Amino acid sequence: MASFVSAGLIGISLGAQYALLALGFTLIFGILGVVNFAHGGFYVLGGYAAYSCVTFLGLPYPLAVVAAMLATGALGYVFELFVVERVVDDHLATLMLTLGLYLMIGTGIQAVYGPESPQFGFPVTGTLRFAGFYMPLENLVVLAVCLVAIAGVYALMYRTDLGRGLRALADNRQVAATQGLRPKLLFPLAFALSCGLAGLTGALVTPILSLGPLVGEPVLAMAFLTVILGGFGSIIGATVAAFLVGLIEAYSVVYLGGSKGALALFVLVLVVLIVRPSGLFGKEARGA
Amino acid sequence: MLSVEDIEVRYGGITALHKVSIEVEEGETVLLIGANGAGKSSLINAVIGATQTCGGRIRFKGQDIGGLSADRRARAGIGYSPEGRKVFGTLSVADNVLSGAFGMGRRHQKEAFDWLSSVFPILAERAEQPAGQLSGGQQQIVAFARAMSSYPKLLLLDEPFLGLAPVWIQRISDAIREIQRRGTTILMTEQMARPALKLATRGYIMRGGEVRRSGSVADIGDAALVEEYL
Repeated sequence: MASFVSAGLIGISLGAQYALLALGFTLIFGILGVVNFAHGGFYVLGGYAAYSCVTFLGLPYPLAVVAAMLATGALGYVFELFVVERVVDDHLATLMLTLGLYLMIGTGIQAVYGPESPQFGFPVTGTLRFAGFYMPLENLVVLAVCLVAIAGVYALMYRTDLGRGLRALADNRQVAATQGLRPKLLFPLAFALSCGLAGLTGALVTPILSLGPLVGEPVLAMAFLTVILGGFGSIIGATVAAFLVGLIEAYSVVYLGGSKGALALFVLVLVVLIVRPSGLFGKEARGA
Repeated sequence: MLSVEDIEVRYGGITALHKVSIEVEEGETVLLIGANGAGKSSLINAVIGATQTCGGRIRFKGQDIGGLSADRRARAGIGYSPEGRKVFGTLSVADNVLSGAFGMGRRHQKEAFDWLSSVFPILAERAEQPAGQLSGGQQQIVAFARAMSSYPKLLLLDEPFLGLAPVWIQRISDAIREIQRRGTTILMTEQMARPALKLATRGYIMRGGEVRRSGSVADIGDAALVEEYL
């Protein structure tokens, strides 16, 4: 029983991290129609930005996390405005550009910081014991921050004028433009938001998991899988699927053993795609 | 208010509009009438900027808007209710209406929504419902309200009666009269000449991408009704 509850808590904590990554990924696809292959790169960049702020600038960790989020958000904004924007409707071009940016981020970090993992630990350590089950404190902190960030994304998307404009653009870009919504203003903002979320997750999670130039690849794969499971472009789908993926991963590690977890996930996604090709919460396929 | 001079619209090798010129004066309701493929929607799309034009000029309030993007034309004061409604199906009714007044501030948005839902009570009744779940006529009201929430000087209505039951044609006609009462200038297209002629002050008959006749409703009424059956 205790391990069941503990695994559940770990699963929710993992799910919250995946939700932040998947939300950013699905926002860019939903609003711009772009699959951002650099998403994992922004996660890595967030980790290294926070690491640099703590190690070289001596900033306290919470400030470093904020700085990492802002820095990755700013890079996302600039990248969309000057690079993606020109070819935003060309799927092949955006694929090449975002993939290229990912490679540049990975290689750039390797050139500056070297290929080995830097020493970057989470400032809070210890374990919370409660009624027979336990949970690492660091996971609890990450969970709390992730939940606040997820709530923030929802508030932004569903309670503000900006969010309404973004959702209108996601629904039908051509019509939205004829109603006075400005893609040239809103697309870079959406990209910045998405990349900032990836950077935030990287800054929060890499001290616990690991930091290295290539840790973005599994992150991209996980974001991809989560968003496909939830339905491409769906905000609620991404959130629900992320927690589902987190819980499955945590439980399968405990009850099936490490390597079978990924297998269980892919089987689940396969079954869902056979039964519901557009994902759990997906609408019909987006027109090219 | 709006002056279109000699514009051409081509899709690939096909000429959809050939040297079309129209004028819309302030306070008028001008009707573009003609069968499918006459070029009515191409003309509306050219005015809002949803279609590229080659040659000719489009002036709005004296300013050449031919080089502006669609969103800048909308913000210059042109409202647009597209053919087939095209409401944002995943957004709530309220979000649809308010998205037309993006960036204009909460006070403007609240005032616009209150005014529009006093004219069209269904907007308040269905405020939280996804617009995609509404009937065609209800969606047409939402599309009107979305276009009107920025208080445009000129409203473009593309086929507002398309696919609607007679009872809704009557209601939509009332809605258009309500918009006219506000002093909004309207340029509308319609295949159904009979109900549309009752709303308009002046009209253009289009066929094959050209304007064939123009004049007051009394002058072109009979010709327009003939056109409808040919």
